[in-house]
Amino acid sequence: MILLEAQFEPPMLAFLRKNQVLLSSFLCVFLSLTILAAAAKGHLKSDPIGPLLVTLMRPLQIGVQAMVFWIGDIGEVSARLVRLAGENQQLRQHLQELEAERNRLLEVEATNRRLREILDFRSQLPSESLTAGVIGNSASTWFRSLTLDKGSNEGVSKGMAVVSPAGVVGQVVAVTAHGAKVLLLTDPHSGVDVINQRSRARGIVAGSLDEGPIVKYVKRSEDIQTGDRLITSGLEGVFPKGLLVGTVTKTRKKSFGLFQYVGVELAADPSRIEEVLLVAPAATPLKEKNLS
Amino acid sequence: MKLSLLFLAVGFLLVLLQTTALHLLPLGPIVPDLMLVLCVYWGLNHPTVAAVLGSFILGYSVDVFSSPLLGLNAFATSLVFLAVYLSSRCIWIHDSLLSAAVVFAASLIKGLALLTASSLFLTADGLWRGLIHYMLLDALAAAALAPVLFFLLRRGQRYMEAPEMPL
Repeated sequence: MILLEAQFEPPMLAFLRKNQVLLSSFLCVFLSLTILAAAAKGHLKSDPIGPLLVTLMRPLQIGVQAMVFWIGDIGEVSARLVRLAGENQQLRQHLQELEAERNRLLEVEATNRRLREILDFRSQLPSESLTAGVIGNSASTWFRSLTLDKGSNEGVSKGMAVVSPAGVVGQVVAVTAHGAKVLLLTDPHSGVDVINQRSRARGIVAGSLDEGPIVKYVKRSEDIQTGDRLITSGLEGVFPKGLLVGTVTKTRKKSFGLFQYVGVELAADPSRIEEVLLVAPAATPLKEKNLS
Repeated sequence: MKLSLLFLAVGFLLVLLQTTALHLLPLGPIVPDLMLVLCVYWGLNHPTVAAVLGSFILGYSVDVFSSPLLGLNAFATSLVFLAVYLSSRCIWIHDSLLSAAVVFAASLIKGLALLTASSLFLTADGLWRGLIHYMLLDALAAAALAPVLFFLLRRGQRYMEAPEMPL
């Protein structure tokens, strides 16, 4: 019976059944266009499906959106951390570069200051003075010396006085074509004639291995006090007169003997000297400015 | 019936995803149109009256949530379904890449449909600027995700259509 009904289905119904998808599609397109036209003209007063859909979706959307925000926050925090780590690394590198640059500039500034002092100092010295850099120190415990980067080719000669803006350093004892050896005042074999700036008492500052520099040959009767400034006398014809040699740190008179013991702290610390001035042997006194 | 319920659930899920989670993707303003992929899938693999209605409702739901005018997306998705359904009579698609190509073409059709409908019922002045750029990006994003979604839908459909084993 059912088979018979199917076989004798009206042609119209068969057509609809056969093309139901196509027809319903066209119908939906037409329906949507109708809705669209009505909505565009403002004739669509009430929307029966929209509010229902919104109501249905609202709790789900709230839940998912909260999760999305949470994931987004995590992602953002992670991204920020990664970005900060990269930025931190860059800043560290930048800081290191700046630190290196700062050190370089400080060194340049210090060198500049030293050279300026030397230039100022040089203007007070006789015109035959040279500037030289220290390139080496003593290789022996028993001797105190420096090696300079200038030699005979640059005009350095044996016997030249070696001074710095701080004070007397020593004397050139050996010269090569491009280098010179300086015997420091702290060496036991060195000596420079000095005058006490206050009392005008005389003596010879020399190095010693155990007690540091001392003033030799100061008579017991001479007036020497701690803190007195000692300057070159210029009498030996090596150092210009008036250069600061050091300050008296200790005086001691024994119950016997002709001389008293005088300890000295040198004005120029040899271990911290980087540039020096070389002055040709002359008895030319320094200008008055340096004497002060 | 079970399959229709599955598709209904998937449709709801896609609406939910498209209005929320898909904005997380780093695609800027582009939101992959997964509902379009579902419409194409229905048009190719499940062309029924329920699928037609499903496509219409999907488009309508997009209208409800984000369209300036009701019916715009409903029109576009219905038209896309129709176009895919008509083309499915001529071609048989079972390859993932081909499905991506069909989704790409469907996305372009949808874009043109939206543009036409907007021109007719709204103003399309603002749409012209960067239209081709966004249309292509939208189509690419949908096409890129199409193979995965097709795969999942096929698996789901097979699972639902599998005959129950007698005890």
